[in-house]
This record gives sequence, C-alpha cells and structure tokens, in this order.
Amino acid sequence: MKSTDRLFGSLELLIFKTLAAGPHHGFGITLHVETVSKGLLHMEEGSLYPALHRLERERLISGEWRQTDAGRRARIYTLTAAGRKRLAESEASWSSVSLGIERVLRFV
Amino acid sequence: MKRAIVWLRRLFHRDSAWQEEIESHLAMRADWHQAQGVAPDAARTRAAREFGSPLRALEAVRAVHRAPWLDALAQDAHHGLRVIRRSPAFSLAAMATLAVGIGASTAVFSVVDLLLFRSLPYPRAERLVSVGFSGPIDNNEFNVGNAYLDWREHQRVFAAMTSMYPAGECDLGEAPALRVPCVQVESNFLATLGLAPAAGRDFHPEDDRPGAPKVALLSYAMWQSRFGGDPGAAGKTILLDDAPVRVSGFLPRTFEMPQLGEADVLLAEQLDESVARAPRFTVFLRTFARLKDGATAETAREQLLPLFEDSVRRYVPPPLQREVGPVVRSLRDRQIHDVKLASWLLFGAVLALVALACANVANLMLARAAARKKELAMRAALGASRGRLARQMFTESLLLSLAGGAAGCVFAWGLLRALVAMAPEALPRLSQARMDGRVLLFALAVSLAAAVATGLLPAWERLSAAALAGWHSAGDGRSWSRPVLVAAQVAISLVLLTGASLLVRSLWKLESESLGFQPRRVVTAAFTLNRHRYNSAEKQDAFYAEVERQLARIPGVSRFALSDSIPPSGGMRGRPFSNMRIAGHPPLPEQGGMVAFRYVTPGYFRALGIPIVAGRDFDEKERSGTDTPLILSQSLARRMFPAENPVGQRIDLDVNGHWQPVVGVAGDVKNSGLADAPQPEYYRLRVNRSDELGLSAVALLETPLDAGVVERWVRRQMAAIDPALPVTIEAMQTKVDRLSERARFLAALIALFAAFGLLLAAIGLYGVLSFLVAQRTREIGVRIALGASPGQIARMAVHQAGVWTLAGMAAGWAASASLERIARGALFQVSPFDPLSLAVAALVLVMAAALAAWLPARRAALVDPAVSLREE
Repeated sequence: MKSTDRLFGSLELLIFKTLAAGPHHGFGITLHVETVSKGLLHMEEGSLYPALHRLERERLISGEWRQTDAGRRARIYTLTAAGRKRLAESEASWSSVSLGIERVLRFV
Repeated sequence: MKRAIVWLRRLFHRDSAWQEEIESHLAMRADWHQAQGVAPDAARTRAAREFGSPLRALEAVRAVHRAPWLDALAQDAHHGLRVIRRSPAFSLAAMATLAVGIGASTAVFSVVDLLLFRSLPYPRAERLVSVGFSGPIDNNEFNVGNAYLDWREHQRVFAAMTSMYPAGECDLGEAPALRVPCVQVESNFLATLGLAPAAGRDFHPEDDRPGAPKVALLSYAMWQSRFGGDPGAAGKTILLDDAPVRVSGFLPRTFEMPQLGEADVLLAEQLDESVARAPRFTVFLRTFARLKDGATAETAREQLLPLFEDSVRRYVPPPLQREVGPVVRSLRDRQIHDVKLASWLLFGAVLALVALACANVANLMLARAAARKKELAMRAALGASRGRLARQMFTESLLLSLAGGAAGCVFAWGLLRALVAMAPEALPRLSQARMDGRVLLFALAVSLAAAVATGLLPAWERLSAAALAGWHSAGDGRSWSRPVLVAAQVAISLVLLTGASLLVRSLWKLESESLGFQPRRVVTAAFTLNRHRYNSAEKQDAFYAEVERQLARIPGVSRFALSDSIPPSGGMRGRPFSNMRIAGHPPLPEQGGMVAFRYVTPGYFRALGIPIVAGRDFDEKERSGTDTPLILSQSLARRMFPAENPVGQRIDLDVNGHWQPVVGVAGDVKNSGLADAPQPEYYRLRVNRSDELGLSAVALLETPLDAGVVERWVRRQMAAIDPALPVTIEAMQTKVDRLSERARFLAALIALFAAFGLLLAAIGLYGVLSFLVAQRTREIGVRIALGASPGQIARMAVHQAGVWTLAGMAAGWAASASLERIARGALFQVSPFDPLSLAVAALVLVMAAALAAWLPARRAALVDPAVSLREE
C-alpha cells in the first residue's frame, strides 16, 4: 500500500480521471489505475468506497446498479457535469502542486 | 407508524446495498485473480486480504451517509449523560423537581382535557347546541312542549332539532325487576347527534306517533350483559314496566347522552301534540339542535329571539315571564357549565407549578454552569463555537427534562388514580380520565418546553463573551437572572398559596353553612312506584300506609317520617308564588318566583330536627280529617305576612277555593344546595286519603344504629310489601357531604399544588442563597477578619433573601389581584381580598422563606476566615 492516494486529494482526482474515460464500477476503477500506472499506484480498496459515496452525495458522480459483461451485479459510477468541472479544477491544481514539488526537489 | 416502518425498511435496504457493493467488488477481484491462474479458494483469500476489513469500509460508508447533526447530537448526548452521571445528586434533584411539575400537570391535564379540549363523541360535535329557556327552578335550560313544537316548525337556523324527556327510570324485566335509567327521546335523536345504532335500526318517525307500538334502543352495556352482544338480538322483546317492548337496536359503545345523564334504555318519545298543546298542562323537555354551517350559537340565539318571545307571551304564566331567558349554547358549555371555572383553575394551578419547577431547575443549571465556568472557558479557548457549547448545554437540559418527564408520567399515573379515588363525582368524566396517547403527548410537550425554559437561560448567560473570557472564579455573583428567578418563584408560589387559602376558607364557610336540619343519624330510603301496577290513588295510598306501618316497626328506629322529597339537593315540587291567595288579603305581587312544597307525615320535622318556630307541628289525628293544615317555612311566612302572625291565617294554594289553615312555621332549610339561599317553601300534610302523593317517596329513619344494619331491615320490610320495588338507601350525611364534594376536591388539589409550589420556592431560595454564600466565602472571610461579627454576616445574607422575597411577594400580590375576577366565581361568601386568607398565605410563605434563608445564613456566619482565605 502506498500513501500516494492520501496526497492532495489524489484519490478523488484518480476517480474523476478514470470515470472521465467512461462509467466504471469500483473494482474497475481500481484495476484501471493499477493498469495505467503500470503497477506503480495501488488503490486502498477499503477507502475507495467511502470516497465514492461521498462524491455521490456531493453529486459529482452518480451510481447505478447494473449487470456487468461478466454477468455480475455491480454499482456503475458515471461522472456528472459538476464532476467534470471539478476534475478540470483538480487537474490544474495537481499540475501546479506537482510542478512546485518537482522544482523544490530539483533545486540543489 | 406505517411511515416509520417504511423508513426503517429503506434504511435497512440501503445498508444491505452498500454491503452488496463491497461483496461484488471482492467477487470481481477474485474472478480477476482466477483469470490470472490462481486457484478459486486462494483467489478469494487474496482478494479479501487486499481489500482489508470490509466491516471497517462499511462503517466508513455509513459515516458518509450519516447526517452530521445526528453525529453531533449523539456526541452531545454522550457528553450530557456523562455530566449527569458525574453529579448524581444534582441530576436527581433536577429530575425530581421536573417530575413533580410535569407529573402534576399531566395528571390534571388528563382530567381537564376531557372537559375543556377533547371533542365530544359526536361527529362535528362543535355544531351541536342545547336550546331552551333559562329559569329559576333549573340550572340548565329546559323547554316546554308547545314552545318546542313551534320552534321546530318555524326555526331556520338549525339543520335539525331534537328533544328528550328529562331523565327517568323504569323497571326492566320480570320481578324482581331491575331499576334502570330510561329516557324517552325523539325519533331523530341519534341522527341529530350524528350517530347510528351499533346494531339493529334507529327509531323511525312512525315509532314516534302516539299510540304506536313501543320500541327501545338499549345501551351497549345492556346489549353485552343481557344478550351477550349478539347482533341478532335486535327485534327481540323485553319487559319494561311490566309491558312488552320491542328492542329495535343497540347503542354504540362510546355513546353518551348529550346532557351526560345515564341511559340504559332509550324509548321513542311519542310526544303527543294534542297533550303538549293542552292549556294548563306543561310537558318539560330538554332540546338539542345541530347548527347549520356558518351559524354560531350566538347568531342562532339572535335569530331565534322572535320565536322565543312569542312562546314566552303565549305559554309562560305571566308571573314567570320576566324570569325566563333564551339560551342557545354549545353542548360542551352545557356539559361543563358549573365545572368550567374549576377546570381552568386547576389547569392554571398546575401550569404555575410547572413554571415553578422550571425556574427551580433553571436556577440549579445556572449554579452548575457557574461551577463549570472554567471547563466552558477552556473549551471555548480550544475552539468550540458558542453555538456548539449552547447546544451542548441544551442537550443536557433536554436529557434531564425527558427523564423528568418520564418519571413525571409515572407520578401522574399514581396521582390520577388518587384523584379518581378521592372524588369520583367531583368532576364529570373524571372516571373516564386515562393516560392515553394524547395525554402522553402533552407530557412530552411540557418536557420539551421545560428543556427550553431550563436550558436557554443558563446557555445564554454563561456563554456571554465576558463569561467565556474569564478564567477567574471570583466575582460574577451579581448576575441578575438568579435573583429574578427566585423572586418569580416566590411570586408564583404566593399566588398558589393565596388561591389555596381562599378556597379552603370558602370550603370551611360552605361546610359550616347551617343546613337548617340535622343530617346525622338519619337514613333515607327512596323509591318510585311502578306506574302500571300502582295506577290509582287508592293503591298508592294503601302502599304508603303499609310502608309507614312496617318501617316504623323496625327495631332501633326512634323516629320515622315519609315525604315526597327531602332537602338539601332540590327535586321538590314548586308553584308560582303569585298563584297563592290569603283569605282577607289583597292578591300577592306578581313577581315572586317559585315556592317549593312537600307532602310530609307528622314525624318529618322531628326526624330531621327542623325547629317549629311558631305555632305547632302537624298532628297524627289531622291525617284523617278534612281540614288539611299547612306549615310555612320562615322565609315564606315573612314574605306573606310581614306584619302579622301567620298562624291561624287561611291560604288558597291552587286558586280553587280550598282554604287551608296555617298551623305553624318551621325553620328554613337548605333545599337547593349549600351555596344557594333556601327557597321559600310550605309543607302539606300527607292525609290518609289523598290523590296527590305521587309515585315517588322517601322514608326517613332516625336511628342510632349503623346505616348498614338499618339497610338490611329496611330492605327486608320493603320486600315484604312489594318484592319487585327497587329501593335506594343512603345515609343523610352522605347526601350532604356530596354537596361540598366538588368544593373540597378543588380546595384539596389547589392546596396540594400550593404545597408543592411552596416547597419548590423554598428549595430555590435555599439553593441560590447557599450558592451565593459558598461563592462569597472569601469575601465573608475578609469581612470577618476585618472585624464583622457573625450576626452582621448572617444579617447580610438574610437581608438579600428578604429583598428577593419581598420583591416576589409584591409581584405575587399584583398577580393575585389581577386574577380577582376569576377567583370570585369560585368562592363562597369569601372576598378575593379576604384579609385573613391573604395574611395566612403571606405568613406561610415568609416562614418558608425564613427557614430557607436561615441555613445558608448560619453557614455564612460560621465561616472561618483562616480557612476561607487559604482557599484558592
């Protein structure tokens, strides 16, 4: 387990970014992040669901029970318009934070 | 309830959905591992390990959905409970105080709610009114047959009018028959009330035609006891007064008569118009009506006025015309007219008690908040917002109030049972009072109000910026709110005490009111003959003669008399004063009201100890003569013969030329209740052959024996004469006691509440003073060190208590004076400003206050300067 998901609301950002590509269930989000980060990032699954529910309460994403292709019932989440807006903001702030950190790290 | 279940189910469903979501995640992860070539079991284990604790995740999800205020509330409640547990003495005192206040008010509410607030058991009951004449003989409005027939035909304000004969009784079944309350009502009676029989059919208009076959509706209780509640019993025949009557149906279980009378049998009224309209014959009725939409009792009365005046002109004898008035009033007013004031007084008294209890608890909370000032200041400094702190203090008082309310409900339950046992007939419907949902809701409302009252003041005062900023515990004793609370308690308690002492004094006057006769050692036996079996004057005379012979022989009976009615509660016959003529005198004035009269045997005056103040008593020999003598009451004698000796005068009672000699004058007796002046009356002798004795009589037996012993003898003797005749036996003293029962009930309750109130006020004063002394120990120590004597210190403390008490008493007197007009109606021969009562109330209060102040003052005087200065 890495602590990356605790940094600067990065968990939300990862969820938003994943859902921006299309609706996913919770496990799908986990898998997507693991795959795309080539195993560098591993989501803490226990805290994924509280986060999903909180975002849903804030109407940034919306969930719906559906049948998956594999024939399992799962709750599929979609990014709402408000969520899309929040994604843009978070992405921008993340970029500036990571740029800032990189500059500090590179300063010798 | 249903909504709560739906809500719970949804809550549960939501929770299981969250669980399912987590399970589906685990399953998909396991699937994924399996696809990578892991064995199924190992795949599941690995998925579970990677996920961590699903329970913790579920809990975190729940936390997301839980409302934040609920979290804070739980936290506050938790904290509040801890605070309450930490100071059990304080919490118990506060809860007990609130329990007394809430309990007393809840018990009284359960009684007065039935009288003042709860709707009567009829659909749209607020539109039902009682209609009729107010007159001198009857406390309630009545109607006469011909007037009612006119009104029913011509009125336009009522949707329906209906009538009933005044309550009567009849014999039910075979001998020995059961004497049951039996009322004749018009066929539209139930329909006008908006009711229908529980089984069978209602009366039809045909049933009301004179001469139609008799039909009856039986009460629910009769239906259950006689017919086992069989719905098919309608149509059966029962024996009423020895005549067969068909049962058309049964009344609903909740049925009650609009005048609250008893009725086991309703008979069709069969009001005969030719009889009702006959001259010189009066049919007395009770009449009720349902208002049309939009009409009120007042507008109905106004619109009925022309009809009413016409009836007065045509049907009321001229001497009485000025004494009758039109009445249209709501059914509720009709039912509670003589207890309305008492109900409001009781309710007011308990609300005052609740206010006192709240003031007391608020004071306790203030004291404790002062003690916790450091804690609060610390929490404020650590970032708790004032709103948060206020909410927390409020939660504490809410917990205390709810606990107090719960204990109060238990207390109320006990108190209610005591009330019902104390005076079953003191208030109508008292025996119906229950702790039902409505009453519990009231208790809850009072508890919540108490929480607000006791929580807000401390919160507001303690959370002022200055209080929160201060770290030091010295000073801050000059807050105005606690003295004001104490003064308010004193004021309320003085109002209660004044009310109680006025009522007790009024009761004392009422009970020491001279009855004019001696009720002790007199047993009464009342009966009413069966109309069908004793259908001639001869049969009645023979029966009465036999009763006299048999009852007078009972061993231990020293005096015996027979009368058609007895004092002190009315029920006697009456005639207009102006109907009488005096031989050789001009006619009597027209406005004279009614004169009561009774038919008595010669022993009557001796049996009841009524003095003959002039002339002589009746003589046994006169009963067989033709010269029927009269005895007048003192007040009647004074009115008829202001300047002459009444004895020896001759009077014509009925304008029929039958002149009767006045042989004596008897002392006045209370014949229409304790509070009213005696009605003038005359006594006629029960002669041996009379056709005027009537069907009802009361035997009076003076005996040193126990009423129970006499009762057995009387029953045996009466059964020997007529085994089917029901007899009611009662000690005269019981009858008399019943007259002051209501006044006693009210006085006892208000006195009880005043005592509670006084106790609370004294505790309040004691508490505040003790607190102040404790808080100022340092100051007192300095004063003593500088040379103040213990006496001076004690005076200082007492002085403060005196100022608050006096301020409270001034306010209390002002409040009492403003309630004077209300109080006047509840008092008998006592002015609301009765100096003795006011003085007693004030004295009791001052003594309680002195006692409450003495203990803390003594403690102050005994402060050791060395110890107090070393503190802190």
